[in-house]
Amino acid sequence: MVISLNYLLKINKKILFVLIIITILLITLTLVSQSILFNISQTENYTYSSNSNYDISKPKFSINNKKNSISITANKGNFINKNEIILEDNVEFTSKNFKISTSNVYFNQKNQTAKSLVNSQFESNKTLIKSEGFDITENGNIIKFNGKTKLIILE
Amino acid sequence: MIKLIKILILVNLVNFSSIAREKGQIEITANQGVEVFQVEKYYYLKEKVNILSDNFELNADEVKAFFDKDLYDIYEIQASGNSTLYSQEGIYAFGEKIFFNLKNETIIVNGKNSKLQFNDLNMFSNNLIDVDNLQQTFNLQGELSILQNNEIKIIASSIKGKFINNNKINEIEELFIKDQKKLNIITKTSSMFALKANYNKLNNTIELHENVLIIRDQETIEGEYALINIANESYKIKSKENKKVKIILNTSSNE
Repeated sequence: MVISLNYLLKINKKILFVLIIITILLITLTLVSQSILFNISQTENYTYSSNSNYDISKPKFSINNKKNSISITANKGNFINKNEIILEDNVEFTSKNFKISTSNVYFNQKNQTAKSLVNSQFESNKTLIKSEGFDITENGNIIKFNGKTKLIILE
Repeated sequence: MIKLIKILILVNLVNFSSIAREKGQIEITANQGVEVFQVEKYYYLKEKVNILSDNFELNADEVKAFFDKDLYDIYEIQASGNSTLYSQEGIYAFGEKIFFNLKNETIIVNGKNSKLQFNDLNMFSNNLIDVDNLQQTFNLQGELSILQNNEIKIIASSIKGKFINNNKINEIEELFIKDQKKLNIITKTSSMFALKANYNKLNNTIELHENVLIIRDQETIEGEYALINIANESYKIKSKENKKVKIILNTSSNE
């Protein structure tokens, strides 16, 4: 017992202090990096564009409800404010039941709503809808096709 | 400028005609859009709605079209506001509301001045006309409802019946007619009034119950019950125990 205590007393106090500090730093760094990575996986649906014409390229979002999920993709996106984004160029809403294609959509991330004021095409099994725009509300449960609308059903 | 407008109109026309209806398809157009309720499973169409298929055409101000398994599987159409329906089966319907079930083959027409023409059968009502093509029954409800074909015209507040489709001619098999005030049955030779009446094609008879009045040629017959044979135009008439059958022969016009 006396021998082991003596052994401890032989260790340089400065080295011990440095070792403790390094250990604390390593633990802190690990925790912080894990937290950052977690946050990135929650929000990184797009990459910020280096092009000055638009904010984000190839944005990807989703509207979720109890039954299914609608995936939203586009070539370009521009932030109007924190929650609202204009999606442009080859905008597509895809779920397991349907696909909507258009060129311009206002998407609200917070409310999970989408609105288009330009010609849009809805395709589903044996069903085709062409309209002058659309609104998606109630987490995708209600889709309203606006303006002069044509619906074709294959019997 | 005019050239530009013409080009814009042409582009718009081409855009909408690019998905024109082909044989075997249903085409639905609406001026004020379509709402798709995925949970409740129906389409809600607004303003100048037109539904066109190989078998029928429907026009209305607003339409709810219910689907079953998927968006294409429409089984019931509920039209409201100036609704008209034409079908290849020989149906023309007009009314404030038309409910049309494609699977059960039922048509309900609601509202004032409702009309349903089904081959040679004409039905008019200010309340309800209900035709079940599979069960081959019809039901007219509402004051002064009218059922009419080439042989007979019936005016009553309740007209129920069965028909049989014989080579695109709907022959009436049975009729159950009621009116709280007075029903009227008009044939080529007679005009009959009562509170209740039944017709049976098998026996070729009309039965009249309560406050019976028959006007035929120069005679007027009053009683409480009458059984009329349509084939030979003979009739039996009965009165209540305390009343007598009354026959008035009007010969003044011949004299």
